[in-house]
Amino acid sequence: MLRLENVRARVEGKEVLKGISLSLREGEVLYVLGPNGCGKTSLLRAIAGYPGYEVEGRVEFYGEDISSLPAEQRAARGVGIAHQIPPRLSNVNTGALLEQMCQKFGCNSVREVAELLNIKHLLGRPFGKGFSGGELKRVELATLLLQRPKLALIDEPDSGVDVDSVAVIAEGIRRLLSSSTRGAIIVTHSGLMARLVEPSGVCIMLDGRLVKCGGRELLEEAMGRGFRALVGGS
Amino acid sequence: MGLGRWSEAVRERAKAALHRPSPYGPDLDVTSFEPGLSAGEPEPELVSQTGLDLERAKREAMYVQVDQALVKYFSKVPGVEVKCLERLLEEEPDVAKEYLWRLLDPATDKYTAIAALKGAGGYFVRVKRGAKVEVPVQACMFIRSSSLQAPHNLVIVEEGAEATIHIGCLTMPEAAALHAAMSEIYVERGARLKMIMVHAWNAVTHVRPRTVIKVEEGGELLSYYMNLSKVKSLQTYPLVKLAPGARAYIASIILGRGGAEIDVGTKVELEDASAEIVSRVLARDSSRVYARALLSGPSGQGHIECSGLMLSDEARIVMYPELDAKGPRARLTHEASIGKLSEEEINYLISKGFSREEAEGILVRGFMNVELSFLPERLQKYVSSVLDVMKKMATM
Repeated sequence: MLRLENVRARVEGKEVLKGISLSLREGEVLYVLGPNGCGKTSLLRAIAGYPGYEVEGRVEFYGEDISSLPAEQRAARGVGIAHQIPPRLSNVNTGALLEQMCQKFGCNSVREVAELLNIKHLLGRPFGKGFSGGELKRVELATLLLQRPKLALIDEPDSGVDVDSVAVIAEGIRRLLSSSTRGAIIVTHSGLMARLVEPSGVCIMLDGRLVKCGGRELLEEAMGRGFRALVGGS
Repeated sequence: MGLGRWSEAVRERAKAALHRPSPYGPDLDVTSFEPGLSAGEPEPELVSQTGLDLERAKREAMYVQVDQALVKYFSKVPGVEVKCLERLLEEEPDVAKEYLWRLLDPATDKYTAIAALKGAGGYFVRVKRGAKVEVPVQACMFIRSSSLQAPHNLVIVEEGAEATIHIGCLTMPEAAALHAAMSEIYVERGARLKMIMVHAWNAVTHVRPRTVIKVEEGGELLSYYMNLSKVKSLQTYPLVKLAPGARAYIASIILGRGGAEIDVGTKVELEDASAEIVSRVLARDSSRVYARALLSGPSGQGHIECSGLMLSDEARIVMYPELDAKGPRARLTHEASIGKLSEEEINYLISKGFSREEAEGILVRGFMNVELSFLPERLQKYVSSVLDVMKKMATM
């Protein structure tokens, strides 16, 4: 469903992706692990077409080259992204925004998603204002559940949140994967989420490159030995 | 003093001020505007922009004025009286003398003066003691011709009563008019008034309303003011006087468009009372908006929150939040900010599948949000519908 061919990206002149190639088939959940600042977020944003990224190379989604499409058109084709830390949207009502997303993408019910992710109490509040880390992640995941993308790009769903929230988020991701979403790339620097949402593949990212890919055992190894040691200190 | 002598005394005071400029806003030659006497009903599609529902009002309570000619008024709501000012003067001269030109001075400036000398019409709304009325009285001030419209409005919410007034003021697109409405509003002891006012003018109209609201002990005022259309110039600085135990929440959402010069604000005098003034100012094109807010008094609690959103490179927003503590028991605070839409927030929404225009619209609409939960559901919908119109006008 997704194929990246030698994708390079720059943000404000700085090269953040240095030639990424990967494929994702339907039913796969790929974990991308790596230290802070290695380019994991940039990889997801380059696929999603996030504004401000100068991207070279080919991003193919279900056989279509979407490299030159703006983000909203990629979203319309089924590419969804959950950001690591969404911005606080000054005074935008959380419930109203989720309702707009629901209408745009034809979801069933905001309330159902809000119940699943335990965010009902946030619907009447300004988006992001005073939310805890876990609440931010859960609201962000709610946007994906409402968008019902074919491909879910999920940025650090398990960082900065308590164990209970991680369990709720994992349940949300499983719900996503059991409905309209056919594949996911989950970025993390801890292996926490992988205990709850089974990976089908794991790649290690360092300095803007995917340096090693494999199965679940790679994740365990990386968690045990560290990212750089795993790839021979490169 | 008889009504005739009282009226003459008002006119004499007014004449002395006919050339007295306001300290705020562009100066105008008021004598160049003559009273307009157009007939006919207001244009429904324009009226709807102000959130008024005159069809529904026909079953409830309404007042409609076109130029300086009266169209209709009535109330079918128990406990609520609605009539025009001339009828009040005729039927209840003592009430008129007791309440009119008491909070406002006809000699304040040339706009109070011209209203006292040449004004006509205006609504008189009285909500009887103890009546709890959620149904809004809807008042429509419509200008059809290039003329002066200067009604004198009087609202009395009697002791312990609760009332809602929804006012829409608007013009035909081509009318180069001066609107100078005088409003004196009395919220008596323990009474509550919810007031929604929507201005939808045109690019050639000048607007100079003068308003004083007196809230007695334990009374409450909720006020929402929205200016959504183009206007040549708009200047108003209503005064709210809060007696001990009174409370007020006053929200203004102002959109400057075209080459408008807008100077608006609210002054609150408080004594052992509490007040919150919230203003949201959006300026696009080459508009200039001066937003004022003043809290003053010897005691009590008050907060001013002013936010400005610059929607063009040519627009200008100036904010004047002022605190005047006249005693050590006054606790007054303010916060003010002016900025533009955040690229980070726009990009975030784009990544969620919204176009740039949609993303800007969501953020602009969010910026305009003020606390509506004090209002009943029906009025929340009215205000929201007006804010939706404002969002379109701000981003189109």
